[in-house]
Amino acid sequence: MNWLSEDGRPCRPGEIIAYCNLAVQGDTRGSVFAKEAVLQVAFASPAGGRLHRRPGLSGGGFLDVIGAADWRDDETIGEIEADSDADDAGGDMPLLMLAGQRMGWAVDVDTGLLPGWHLAARAWWEHGDGHRRTLLNLGVCDAAGPIRGDDSGFVELFQGATFPAHVTDLTDHPAAPCAPVLLDGHGRSRTAFEALALDLQRALADFPEPPTAADWMFAGALLAQLAESPLTRTFDILTRNGLARSEPPRAILLSSCAEPRTIRRHRKLGYRLHIMRHDLDAAGPAIRAWLASAFDAVPRTLDDIAADYRRLIDTAPMQTGTRFLILNRMSTSGREDIASYTAFDEPMGAILANIAAKEINLMLHDLAREKKVAVVDVDAMAAEIGGAAHLPDGVHQSGALQDLVRGEILDILASVGPAGDLRSVG
Amino acid sequence: MLLGLYLPRLLPDMSVAIVEAVYPVVGDTLAAGAKILDLSVDLGSGFRQDCPPISHYRLVAREAVRLRSIHVSPGEACAPGFLMAAFGDDADPDEIARALRFATAGIVSHPGMWSARVRA
Repeated sequence: MNWLSEDGRPCRPGEIIAYCNLAVQGDTRGSVFAKEAVLQVAFASPAGGRLHRRPGLSGGGFLDVIGAADWRDDETIGEIEADSDADDAGGDMPLLMLAGQRMGWAVDVDTGLLPGWHLAARAWWEHGDGHRRTLLNLGVCDAAGPIRGDDSGFVELFQGATFPAHVTDLTDHPAAPCAPVLLDGHGRSRTAFEALALDLQRALADFPEPPTAADWMFAGALLAQLAESPLTRTFDILTRNGLARSEPPRAILLSSCAEPRTIRRHRKLGYRLHIMRHDLDAAGPAIRAWLASAFDAVPRTLDDIAADYRRLIDTAPMQTGTRFLILNRMSTSGREDIASYTAFDEPMGAILANIAAKEINLMLHDLAREKKVAVVDVDAMAAEIGGAAHLPDGVHQSGALQDLVRGEILDILASVGPAGDLRSVG
Repeated sequence: MLLGLYLPRLLPDMSVAIVEAVYPVVGDTLAAGAKILDLSVDLGSGFRQDCPPISHYRLVAREAVRLRSIHVSPGEACAPGFLMAAFGDDADPDEIARALRFATAGIVSHPGMWSARVRA
């Protein structure tokens, strides 16, 4: 048992007070959670009150990592001395289940909730009313904070949800999940993936110098990302009732910030790739040479971006009934003092960041009317509380803004029916 | 009268800005509305992050001036308040009389930027 709350300390209802690692034993061992090295359960306080930990459950240090005991549903890990004004101090302890598919075998630390770099990180919980909502986060930094939260363990999302949910968060490194990359991945056959992998292997082998560790790590992570489309992927779920299999995601979260105006297209194989500049910086020289020589830089107009969104939305629901939530962009800045736009050439959306953002946002609203896409209006929320303080670079949000965005995502998820139909909100 | 272009504090938490592009050359006459410099600010420059918060800006002249001297070049890091350029005639006294009037615009990164060229 890894305690996250001190003995005798007050805790709030739903506060995560401890977690432990899980392993599935018996006949199913090896066949469930096969790709996921991390499986955890976090315990939430069922009521507000003072925590009294059961002594002897934590040995500290490595004993909390390697120590093992059989799971017993009736085992007591502690007591909550409920506040006198607590409405309901009874009931099962809410469980936040977590699983992660690590990007490598040793790129992790053995402490905390889902630490490290995962190809896919997941959370699910059973508490709340109604059917289980399923959300796949394919956003970038503007989505990561609201979804993963401050401790990366989906805790705030879990605490804010009033319904059972299964949430998957896919890494956006090194390939950023923009619409054309997702589309190409969705349609990629095993043969096409093997051709892609072979091409990358040859590029590394043909590079005049030995590839560096950064080259190999970038290549490995990229292949892991491209090997399987996330749109229809299903996962194992462990609950108090036993094992189950998740359904494909009924809601997918995207970031409009991830849509580039220029995208790489492989000259021979035709697939598209978007590598953001900080990920490009992490690549070694062989990978950078491959990206420069094997791909064309293809400009994308606003119409191209809209068309890619339409294709993605039209493609995915045919198989999964999925609805899309798209984070729009901040489109104003208190730092600008443009007195006249005559100084800027047309099209101004190609030059001025805020006009580009407004054009994308308008396109998203058109898309939402046409396709029933739900736009998560980061632009309005940031403007309401102050972009300069809460969204200084236009992408990375303050904690307060993350809370607002998370609340909006949860409201939209609450309106997604079991078949993926959007019900009217409010 | 010599006018100075000082690096403004584009964001409250910025420590430096990187000069991404310099448009005029010494001796050029700039009309009001002419672009002078492109800059980038990385709010995560204090330590390495997997997604650095970088934003880009363009400084545009709001008055007609002649570039007398430029003190920065693409790739250079400058702190707020640094004198990046001076505008005026060669006959003007060397002392800066006042700050240049300019506008600041948030811009999209483009291939002509220093950071894009060094990654190419």
